[in-house]
Amino acid sequence: MIEYLLLAPVITGILCLFTKTRKQVEVVSLTGSIITLLLGLILVVQVYRYDIIISWQNALFADAFSAFIVLIVSIVGFVASIYSTGYMGHELEHRIIDLRKLRIYYALFHVFMFTMLLVGVTNNLGLWIAIEMTTLVSALLMILYSRKSSIEAAWKYMIICTVGITFALFGTILTYYASVNILGETGEALNWTSLLAVADQFDPAIMRLAFIFILIGYGTKAGLAPMHTWLPDAHSEAPTPVSALLSGVLLNCAMYGIIRFNTIASRSTGTEFSSNLLIVFGLLSIGIAVPFILLQEDYKRLLAYSSVEHMGIVALGIGFGGIFGVFGAILHMFNHAMTKSFMFFGAGNVLLKHKTKEIDKVSGTLKSMPFTGPMLIIGGLAITGSPPFSIFISEFTILAAGFSRGYIVSSVLFLLFIIIIFAGFFYHISRMVLGVPKPEIKTGEVSRWMLGAMAVLIVFMFVLGVYIPPYFYEMLMKVVNVVR
Amino acid sequence: MSELVFGSKIMQLIIALILVSTFMILGSTRLYSCVRAFGIQSFLLASVAGIVAYSTGRYEIYIIALLTLVIKAAVIPYIFIYIIREIKVKREIDLYVNISPSLIIGGVLIVISYYLIRSINIRTELSSFALSASMSLVSIGLFIMISRKKAIMQMLGILIMENGLFLGAISLTHGMPLLVELGIFFDVLIGVLIMGILIFRINKTFECIDTDMLKTLIG
Repeated sequence: MIEYLLLAPVITGILCLFTKTRKQVEVVSLTGSIITLLLGLILVVQVYRYDIIISWQNALFADAFSAFIVLIVSIVGFVASIYSTGYMGHELEHRIIDLRKLRIYYALFHVFMFTMLLVGVTNNLGLWIAIEMTTLVSALLMILYSRKSSIEAAWKYMIICTVGITFALFGTILTYYASVNILGETGEALNWTSLLAVADQFDPAIMRLAFIFILIGYGTKAGLAPMHTWLPDAHSEAPTPVSALLSGVLLNCAMYGIIRFNTIASRSTGTEFSSNLLIVFGLLSIGIAVPFILLQEDYKRLLAYSSVEHMGIVALGIGFGGIFGVFGAILHMFNHAMTKSFMFFGAGNVLLKHKTKEIDKVSGTLKSMPFTGPMLIIGGLAITGSPPFSIFISEFTILAAGFSRGYIVSSVLFLLFIIIIFAGFFYHISRMVLGVPKPEIKTGEVSRWMLGAMAVLIVFMFVLGVYIPPYFYEMLMKVVNVVR
Repeated sequence: MSELVFGSKIMQLIIALILVSTFMILGSTRLYSCVRAFGIQSFLLASVAGIVAYSTGRYEIYIIALLTLVIKAAVIPYIFIYIIREIKVKREIDLYVNISPSLIIGGVLIVISYYLIRSINIRTELSSFALSASMSLVSIGLFIMISRKKAIMQMLGILIMENGLFLGAISLTHGMPLLVELGIFFDVLIGVLIMGILIFRINKTFECIDTDMLKTLIG
């Protein structure tokens, strides 16, 4: 089962290279992503029923947490491929890219999907390999436009993330060393399932060092401050559908690595050590986002800094721990993925229309873009955590966990930061949607595909804000049990 | 027993030589000699893996040693030389930190790594020695990345870090499971290729590969 899920995007990617026209490549890509979505959903249902699926000689496995990541990847991937049809089609029509580049774009897009799915379903610390692969593929997607700024962003992204990931490899080696001392030198000594069983016997000194390296390493990739410096560049310079994948999904994949290791490390070192580290890094990420969001001039960078903030919130939730903390963090990963992709799509609509990323040069989208304008307001409310949207629920849960578990100072700081961010974010959004449209902008939307993609996401944002369906709730609880 | 002692003496010698090769990179301003020193380092690394394979008699480690030899000591240096030739980069490296302070910092980094590793509890003396050498390679690689101006040297720095980790893994645990190790090789190779592509792009758009040019995206 898992193999098919991994094969689908690879085959789609290869097929995209052999297409002749725009129509063909779009049909192949859309079909491929629908198949990937369906297989992903089937996997989720199977995991829901059997708890753990193992295949391909133990190398691939899926438990509730993996299935959860697969769910996020396949939903956002599906929506992003719908959005791409409109967005990249528009770029093609305006001769910003040619057909050859369009083919390469779709091929890389699906290979990127494959690497992210692989992160979720690898049954060992070899997870590292998959995460490094995501960097490699997405760097190539970033240089699709040969602009100076995107090449600069791609280089920084590549260098900083590879170094970070190298640290994570060091942490992985140390963990392997700790486990080899107990399990002996078998291939099994790196598998999650066998690691978890014996994690409490690991040497705490080594595990502490390992966790620090892992947190710095994968933290770089997850955009935790102060290792986040590549993130705003990369996320703002990539083509918009890719920005959505980077912010919405890829960050979660790196976070997945941290959370897995947190589970193992805390069995051996006690929960306090890793929790405190996660709380510090989490708060720092939220705090660092504050000034950059307040003083931001570029709306795609605004969204990128907001991703730094939200990854901080996830880390904070895991750090607070307890059922509520972890539940909130996991739910937040999902909500952030949906809402942030939605926001990037909205920003992409504005970008195609206005040809600028500067907030100052955009105004009156409420009038000039009858769909995107209101959507930006809704998205802005949702991403800053106002009710009745889904992020409110998860942030509130994390906050409640913080207060109830006695992390008063951290919780108060967290609350303070998100209030300031709300004000700053909304100030920028209102500058973009209100006022009089620029005279050269014609009223209307760019493409129906792009609106369709946003319409899918808004369902998640609304529904999860008022009601968590029982199946979804049960699945989240399964994830919480795996993670704790 | 005497054989093991002999083996560990040789290991110590090779690991020391690996550190020397790192200093060759630190102390040189010529691109070619840096690449050559990296090639030597990878060759020494392959022989470490060879010795471990011989003393444990496990076939996977032979495969790993062979792969190190082919990929890191031959293919990757060749890619470097290809890039240097193709983009006709100036053969001298521009430095942010001069040669002699670089060497001193390198020495200091080795001492720090040594004491850092002392503080954790490792099974054998040799593993502990190798792990401190591996930490040194990682930190010196990082230092090379931030103290040299050319983009190509940042690429070399990453590879030195990776070599350091390889040394740590092979001496600490006799290498990771084969599947993981193969995956890492794959990633390193693809990574080098993609960084190469990026360097070509940088050269084409900025007409040089100094990282000074890459400073526009701020805030």
